[in-house]
Amino acid sequence: MTELRDGNGLAAAEKLYTQYGSRARELKASGKKVIGYLSALGPVEIMTAAGVVPIRLKGNVSEAISKGDAYMESIVCPFVRNVFDAAVKGKYDFLDGMVLPHQCDSIDRTNETWSYTLKLPYWHFLNVPHVTDDPSITFMKEILRIFIGTLEKFTGTKITDEAIANAVKAHNENRKLMRELYDLRKSNPPPISGTEMMKVLVAAMSLPVDESSALIKAVTKEVKERKPAAGKPAAKRIMLIGDQIDDVAVIEAIESAGAYLVMEDLSIGAKMYWEDVDATADPVQGIAERYLRKLKIPTTFVGSADTYEGILDERFGQMKKYVNEFKVDGAILFIYKYCDPYGFEVPAIKSYVEAAGAPVLYLEDEYSTSSLARVKTRIEAFLEMIA
Amino acid sequence: MAEEKKGRAVATTTAAKIPKFVRGNLSATLKAKEEGKKVAAAFIADGQDEIMRAMDIVPAWGESFSGVCAAKRDAEKYLQKAESDNFSRSLCTYATCNIGFDMMREELGGVAPEGAPWGGMARPDMMLGNGQLLCDPRFKWPQATQHYQRDVPVFVTNMYYPPWDPNVDHHDQEAIYVKYATEELRETVKFCEKVTGKKMDWDRLAATVELSDKTWDLFIDTYELRKHIPTPMDTGDAMNTMVPLTFNLGTQEAYDFYVDLKAELEQKIADGVGVANPEKYRVIWAAGLPSWFALGDFQYFNGKGVVFPVEVTYRGCEKIERLDLPKTNDPLEHIAWRWVRYWTHWYDAARKRPGSTPKVERIIEYIEDYKCDGAVFHSAFSCRSWHAGIMQQAATLKNVYKDLPILIMEGDIVDISSYNEADTHNRIDAFIETLAAYKKKQG
Repeated sequence: MTELRDGNGLAAAEKLYTQYGSRARELKASGKKVIGYLSALGPVEIMTAAGVVPIRLKGNVSEAISKGDAYMESIVCPFVRNVFDAAVKGKYDFLDGMVLPHQCDSIDRTNETWSYTLKLPYWHFLNVPHVTDDPSITFMKEILRIFIGTLEKFTGTKITDEAIANAVKAHNENRKLMRELYDLRKSNPPPISGTEMMKVLVAAMSLPVDESSALIKAVTKEVKERKPAAGKPAAKRIMLIGDQIDDVAVIEAIESAGAYLVMEDLSIGAKMYWEDVDATADPVQGIAERYLRKLKIPTTFVGSADTYEGILDERFGQMKKYVNEFKVDGAILFIYKYCDPYGFEVPAIKSYVEAAGAPVLYLEDEYSTSSLARVKTRIEAFLEMIA
Repeated sequence: MAEEKKGRAVATTTAAKIPKFVRGNLSATLKAKEEGKKVAAAFIADGQDEIMRAMDIVPAWGESFSGVCAAKRDAEKYLQKAESDNFSRSLCTYATCNIGFDMMREELGGVAPEGAPWGGMARPDMMLGNGQLLCDPRFKWPQATQHYQRDVPVFVTNMYYPPWDPNVDHHDQEAIYVKYATEELRETVKFCEKVTGKKMDWDRLAATVELSDKTWDLFIDTYELRKHIPTPMDTGDAMNTMVPLTFNLGTQEAYDFYVDLKAELEQKIADGVGVANPEKYRVIWAAGLPSWFALGDFQYFNGKGVVFPVEVTYRGCEKIERLDLPKTNDPLEHIAWRWVRYWTHWYDAARKRPGSTPKVERIIEYIEDYKCDGAVFHSAFSCRSWHAGIMQQAATLKNVYKDLPILIMEGDIVDISSYNEADTHNRIDAFIETLAAYKKKQG
């Protein structure tokens, strides 16, 4: 990894962003086992406790799908297709295995396509439930124990509860550090751009937890030491909502139009970092509760409140909080085509966030820059509208 | 499932009773209020049928209604209504068609819009969803609908089975899954008791479950008559005759329907009557929901001597004895075992053939048992649940059968804008040519 020195955190993040997976490749060369995973449901605490290097997989929005379509239908989520295409092309040839958490149909229904095509030494489909009642927590613990068992078999090493508890602490610390960096974005103008922040988020998900924490600390220190920007205090403050947006293209489109991206509710961003794992006597209990009850993703059904308004608060309350705390002027809801989980939430999210005081631009698009010009035009028109 | 604009000739007279079944299910929701019954928006193959039937809850089947709209080529106005509130056209069109209808009904104060196919469906008192290993819309759809029917409670249960992994013996995990599914069904009962204000009659539930088991057995006995050459019934009919099993499970009417169908098929066999005359090629409908607006394509196949003696789609059951269910006095646990064992039924076979999968083993079993010469899949663009993974199934099948002709048709379940009849028939013609060459080669 690029050695972290004072003042080079953002440069290190930039390098890890542009050469995604480079650190995992280095660690693989040094004898470590590397496990790729998809989605915010990947239980990184357990992978860390197993001594493997977890890396969250991403695609490349600038690269057309050219090989994956020979194996996987074009009706599948464009993000999943793009990552699969990258894997088929060998971009992730350093992986020893993969974990596919059961997030959505696009992952669940293509599990066999992935595993039979890539033929990695280790494969696990983590059958995460869609509901959060008590039987589901018990079941989640069971399937996490099954997952632990398969990792033990693969690595040949027992994963102790103590190792899991230590990993929980390390990942909680990592989340706390990232939240501190997010806090800096509450200033006007924010001392870190949305583009820079995206590179940090992407870099962080490619590293072992301790290295990720060191990177975040270095970035935070560097950002804090920046002189207050002359900035454009009147520029609009935007929040981005969506699943795995992991490229700067859309953010550059927002910021080049004169706005600040000050917050997001993305599955690689705030969704990942806002809620910790509770320290519980059985560490798996805390992990089960965090991924099932605390993580706000649309494939986890929530609806226990007595009123519809209460249910919306349960599902999207964090977005309202962000609008207020980060003084958001407008939100962009960016949904991938063929995404049923997010697609069915659009009217509810739009009306909820608008009721919180932020007008919403809804965009449906591919995981690709091929339509970026159109997206940019829509964003510019939206910013003019809320000016 | 339903009649389309131009009436489709059916090969069995029993199948002609199906529109009455479908219409009856829709009208039952409209009559429920005056009969003092509660209506639940529900989904097929969710394991909740017997609970609803035993509690006199009237199911409002959204998938059925959207299928009727599609078959009548009358879905576009509902799809557009949903689209007007930002539901994408790439989402499940069963859902968006139904949501569009629900939006219109809400605007009319709960009254079905004028001209709704077969009178439409009533506003539900509850919505029952289900998180599964397929079909996210089964819990996202009710959640989305609640945005327009805010006072209607939604309950989502979770019914899983062990995921396929060639390196894991799923039997080791069955108990965990059965326990979870049983507890989730118990939660469903509690929710239904709360909404209806009635307690579950457990003896009635047990009797309903027993009737379902009998119906599963009878269904398979009936469908296995289609192994006969020439086949007395093909998939064009099966897309209709699945209705009692799929939408009326746990009712005497469903059981009686298959008694009649079985008798008719036995008579056809005795009389030597087949679907196609002559029957040239036998093909399996290997996966995919049909285009409800284009069921006439089955007749196009039949007219060229191609029959479908078997299909995976809507064959949502298996002979109970083949599932080897552990004995239990708890009807919910019985449903859970039946669920887990049905979905994992082809796992052991897949484990014996390296490189295979349970879905492919099921297709192989049917190809062998029903003596098929080729396979047709249908890929519906708006449905990932049943249609993602088809390419992998087809490729695996090719590894086993090498030259087996395979056709993957593309379209949708509800949205007719995806359909071009001339192109579809051209593709079918080309497929039939490969069938002819394959059969000649096979001798």
